[in-house]
Amino acid sequence: MSNDPEKVWPTGLTLKEAEEVHSYLIDGTRVFGAIALLAHVLVAVSTPWLG
Amino acid sequence: MARFRDTALSKIQTIGPRFLPFADVATEGVPLSRLLRLSLFQVTVGMALVLLVGTLNRVMIVELAVPATLVGLMIALPLVFAPFRALIGYRSDIHRSALGWRRVPYIWKGTMLQFGGFAIMPFALLVLSGYDQAADAPVWIGQSAAALAFLLVGAGIHTVQTVGLALATDLVSVDEQPKVVGLMYVMLLLGMIGSALVFGWLLDPYTPGRLIQVVQGAAVITVALNIIALWKQEPRDRARAASVQTQPEFRDAWRLFVQGRTAVGLLVVIALGTMGFGMADVVLEPYGGQVLDMAVATTTRLTAVLAAGGLVGFAIASRVLLDGADPVDVAWWGTLLGLPAFALIIAAGPLGAVTLFVIGTGLAGLGAGLFGHGTLTATMRRAPRAQVGLALGAWGAVQATSAGIAVALGGVIRDVIAAMTNAPEMRPEAPYTPIFALEFAFLALTLAVFFVLRRREAGLFQTTHYRPAQDRPDPSVANAACHVGTAAASTRGYP
Repeated sequence: MSNDPEKVWPTGLTLKEAEEVHSYLIDGTRVFGAIALLAHVLVAVSTPWLG
Repeated sequence: MARFRDTALSKIQTIGPRFLPFADVATEGVPLSRLLRLSLFQVTVGMALVLLVGTLNRVMIVELAVPATLVGLMIALPLVFAPFRALIGYRSDIHRSALGWRRVPYIWKGTMLQFGGFAIMPFALLVLSGYDQAADAPVWIGQSAAALAFLLVGAGIHTVQTVGLALATDLVSVDEQPKVVGLMYVMLLLGMIGSALVFGWLLDPYTPGRLIQVVQGAAVITVALNIIALWKQEPRDRARAASVQTQPEFRDAWRLFVQGRTAVGLLVVIALGTMGFGMADVVLEPYGGQVLDMAVATTTRLTAVLAAGGLVGFAIASRVLLDGADPVDVAWWGTLLGLPAFALIIAAGPLGAVTLFVIGTGLAGLGAGLFGHGTLTATMRRAPRAQVGLALGAWGAVQATSAGIAVALGGVIRDVIAAMTNAPEMRPEAPYTPIFALEFAFLALTLAVFFVLRRREAGLFQTTHYRPAQDRPDPSVANAACHVGTAAASTRGYP
């Protein structure tokens, strides 16, 4: 069971499956980052700080 | 030592999957608690709809003093994505994933879009309205940012709702579908009622800071509820992940979907009926405010009255459908109820009778509830199991597009008439009455199409004996197919 080289510790997912789950997290982080950047730009337009 | 390692590993392996977002196996009966949890995605959709069409509509026009045409345009923007629902549903049907997932990836992406849109929306709106130093900024910044925010939320709503409903359809058997449709609609409406009340309460008194808090709070709640809704719903499917079958192109899938059935006729009914019921959504609040002199907090509650009517409609529809009524019949009765509803609303203006108006609004909600439940149940029941996403995508595309067109049309008609006849002697209800009359006409037309659909369906049934359960290659439902087939036949009243 634990000798299957495809399975990743500790969840028992295969490498591909684990990478897919991880990709959702990565995508989410990227979207979050982009949105945060845009929101900061918009705030800076209406109420500039450090200026 | 090696034995100890093995036991430790196997222990950990049993713990691991508990913290991963898949369902264990495709269980036969999905408990109500799990369906309730899944239906939380509808709460976020309802919240988003209220925020866009109700609350922000008003805030933009009244508090932010954005021109009404621009507001109408912004609110109509999410509509751009509505026709793509069919495509989204189809894509989720054929989605390839190492996990064998078809629905979860799309719901997750849709959630991110919805979240992103709401996260930037308040700032975009403030810049759009020229708040503080944004007045010196170029106009296009505010306009494009607001447009982007509305587009993101719209794309998110369309994706989440289409694929979420497809997932719900996947999970339950045919005879349980009216229950799921009822649940989904009730949660949508609870989301709408609840958020209409909460937003109205939170935004009174209005401050820009409050607007930011409310809209961004909605963004966070969206992500939280959708994650709760998704968790451990869709089973992992290694067989599906491993299979390398060629999938039909969208055009072929569509042809397969419409042939030999009354799918297109049902879509026409959905389009017309939704137009009929939907046109009032945006003009009800200003109608109450300008014609009947209702206050801000009261007009926000109108949306709640409309939704409460719908809630009663869904309860009735769920009951009679589970008792074996034909969903198309239920939709017919709903359409019929819409006629007196809009007659009452038209009469309320000249008479100045707020009570009449509120009763009409509630009745319109009731009719829309019966209509919506009936048509969605019919769509689900007729969807071939391998094309659930496409079927619900088509339903959503037609429903959302016509709802959006109706809303836009309502706004345009009101503005055009108000601008044309800007005489002081004109009665305040003059811009509104044609809209409600038009809704009345649309509903009458829907009834006519129902009649045609019925005739065609009777003809098809005689020639082909179409049974909803016959085109289900999915082996996981094969054991359920026999009792589903008989149940479906009996629930539709066929011998």
